[in-house]
Amino acid sequence: MTDRPLVRMTGIGKRFGGVHACRDIDLTVTAGEVHALLGENGAGKSTLINVLSGVITEHDGTIEVDGEPVSFAGPADAQRAGIATIHQELDLVAGLSIAENMFLGREPRTRLGTVDIRRMRRQAEAHLRTLGADLDPRRLVGSLRVGEQQLVEIGRALSLRARVLIMDEPTAALADAEVERLFATITELRRAGVGIVYISHRMAEIELIADRVTVLRNGTVAGSVDPRVASRDDIIQLMVGRSVDALFGEGRNEPGAVLLDVRGLAVTPRRPVPGRTEPAGVDLTVRSGEIVGLAGLMGAGRTELLETLFGAGGSGRRAGQVTIGDRPYRPSGPRAALARGVAFVPEDRRGAGLMLEHSVADNVVLSALSSLTTLGLVRRPLLRRTVAEQLTTLAVKAASPSIPVATLSGGNQQKIVFAKQLLMRPRLLLLDEPTRGVDIGAKAEIYHLLHRLADSGMAILLASSELPELLSLCDRVVVLHRGRTVAVLPRASATQQAILAAANGDDVKESR
Amino acid sequence: MNSPNPTTVAASPPETPPRRRAIRLPKDRQAIVDNFFRFQSLFGLVAVFLIAIAVSPSRNGENVFLSSGNLANIVRAVSEIGIIAVGMTFVILIGGIDLSVGAVLGLAAVGSATLMVDSGLGIVPTVLIVLFIGTAFGATQGAIVARLGIQSFIVTLAGLQAARGIARMWSGGLGIPIAYGEGPQEAPEAFSLLSGSINGVLPVPALIFLAIGVGALLVLRSTAFARHVYAIGGNEKAARLSGVPVRRVRVTVFAISGLLAALAGIIHAGQLNQGSPNDGAGYELDAIAAVVIGGTSLAGGSGSMGGTIAGALLLGILNNILALNNIDANVQLVVKGLVIVAAAALQRLRPRIA
Repeated sequence: MTDRPLVRMTGIGKRFGGVHACRDIDLTVTAGEVHALLGENGAGKSTLINVLSGVITEHDGTIEVDGEPVSFAGPADAQRAGIATIHQELDLVAGLSIAENMFLGREPRTRLGTVDIRRMRRQAEAHLRTLGADLDPRRLVGSLRVGEQQLVEIGRALSLRARVLIMDEPTAALADAEVERLFATITELRRAGVGIVYISHRMAEIELIADRVTVLRNGTVAGSVDPRVASRDDIIQLMVGRSVDALFGEGRNEPGAVLLDVRGLAVTPRRPVPGRTEPAGVDLTVRSGEIVGLAGLMGAGRTELLETLFGAGGSGRRAGQVTIGDRPYRPSGPRAALARGVAFVPEDRRGAGLMLEHSVADNVVLSALSSLTTLGLVRRPLLRRTVAEQLTTLAVKAASPSIPVATLSGGNQQKIVFAKQLLMRPRLLLLDEPTRGVDIGAKAEIYHLLHRLADSGMAILLASSELPELLSLCDRVVVLHRGRTVAVLPRASATQQAILAAANGDDVKESR
Repeated sequence: MNSPNPTTVAASPPETPPRRRAIRLPKDRQAIVDNFFRFQSLFGLVAVFLIAIAVSPSRNGENVFLSSGNLANIVRAVSEIGIIAVGMTFVILIGGIDLSVGAVLGLAAVGSATLMVDSGLGIVPTVLIVLFIGTAFGATQGAIVARLGIQSFIVTLAGLQAARGIARMWSGGLGIPIAYGEGPQEAPEAFSLLSGSINGVLPVPALIFLAIGVGALLVLRSTAFARHVYAIGGNEKAARLSGVPVRRVRVTVFAISGLLAALAGIIHAGQLNQGSPNDGAGYELDAIAAVVIGGTSLAGGSGSMGGTIAGALLLGILNNILALNNIDANVQLVVKGLVIVAAAALQRLRPRIA
């Protein structure tokens, strides 16, 4: 490792409105180094790499490349300076070939001005060979596996003569074998003197390939350590910081009988969808009156499990048993699930939860319409009353039930999704990241609501990537890893360290 | 109905007191703008109507456009397109399109003529069979869209070809004239009522159109089904996760469109006293134009039945007044094109939600 920094970022800061997304961050990347960037969601990782890759152009602090101060007017500037980014969502055109993707927008030309297909293909082939990828550059990118697509992205970065490569959770969607190949590629790149900024939640990976680890917390650098010296616990401690203040007191009722019982649930998809981790051996129970948390890294299969339980998951062969109450439960779809008293608040509020341009009232009553009609005709007075009651119960701040949902704040939008599902009087409530994109006040209100619902005997299964949320809300935390239950931690023994260790723990054994 | 005009009811949520107040006390400029766009097609209809009165030729000191005979002609002329457009509105509200309606109209016209003239069936069985054929045809298209997930544009484009082909095979490629009487090869006299009028003023097809229009207006305003339709057009995924039976609604919507196209075909046969397999060509485009002028979004999820009815009438008045002034039919087409673009452009100006 040389000490000559390729990139030196000093005092980087960025505010969104009144909120500091990051503040006074220093980061250097030297040639041939893998520099891991760690931190919880919202710690400032994305903001920092967006500054480095030229996506965010207005910020505090300075960036130097090869000792020269630079200022990027856009991503193209950053690329010209040799900084390439491989986003988690790959920027490839599925309908074009590998070679066409690598040279998109800067295709080599013949003297006649037409695209020099042969030269393009030859160069693409050379880059692929450097990466040890045995792929025909004529193949369509859409037919490649995610890992192979990533190689195409890296190949494109190489063709741009990138010297700094930013990789944002590159293994999130990869299978084990593909991860190994990616690491081999990274080793190659490191030898060639490329500096790599590597973002991941997976501790095991970072121990394997990182030369240096910088941990971000609340928008600042919590520490920068050498992973060969620091222990995993040290790093997790840096990420999490001091112990978390509970948002509210305890004093919950005793849970009742087991309502949801899941044993060995696994789904073998007919056509595997890249990036989805279907349940592959899930065991868990939720009692009525109990809030059970679902923890795991990105790609652990939390969302997929909730969708499967709601009948909205991918189709495929199912194994294992699910019972609700005493009867077996196998929903044919969301409609059947709702009929059995199972409700679901999806992660993607705008895309899957709401009709944004429709009114608050229309959204609130959508699920429960059949209970508000006589012979298919909507009973208006009843509907109006129901909506008003529901808005009062959940303390929704809306000027009128007839304004479009899109005009409400994130927290109030989320309450509308809750209102819609709660009108169905569910016995089991499935929640996927229920407080994402919600301000702190609305967050506290949602926590109180969940406690009230649990106290009234509802069973709640809540997936969240915010560990403090799981710890303060849940009676138990079920930890998933690659679609399997790997730990069930009762409230007493659930700590951030324990959850993260469980979510990562098996990673080490497996990837070797 | 508690709103000032039925045009708005389908799109308006049930609790609208602020809106009504805004109309009486137009202090709030935003409210004026909102209501203008909500009533857009109605304003358009009134404007075109007034222009038509102004530019109408007069005969013996009487305004030709306003004569009861002419007004009756207008409603008669738009009734077939209007009925089809009502069905089309449902399809477009879920974010789909039905290109097969013109061909289904032709198929239904052929069916009506053949069943009465060749098969000697009475009016009631004929009408029931033809309506069933149209409904089944639409439902099949809906099922293909819902089950196989193919875009409705493609499915109904194929349906258009198929319906046209079936109509030609059934009729032997020629129009089948309908003669009335008691004998063989003659249709019951009562079928000719479709080309007649009630009290010599209100044409029967116009009456059917208005009945269908009002019925659809009420369905769209008051039923759970309608809310499911709007929900699917607004956000299909959210609708599915909320327990809306998305597939069933899809199939039903296309079945309605097929049913109404077949009804229009029966009327067509009755008015022309024949069933020709080539009838109704291009009607689907006029129906879509009426829906678009009526302010329904092709993206689905927003629009109203009142708008569609107003849109159909507006097109009819436009055609009529241009014809009364002896303006070339080709110029009429150009004007129609301009009106469609103008209506759509007005929609673009509509205030949007951030």
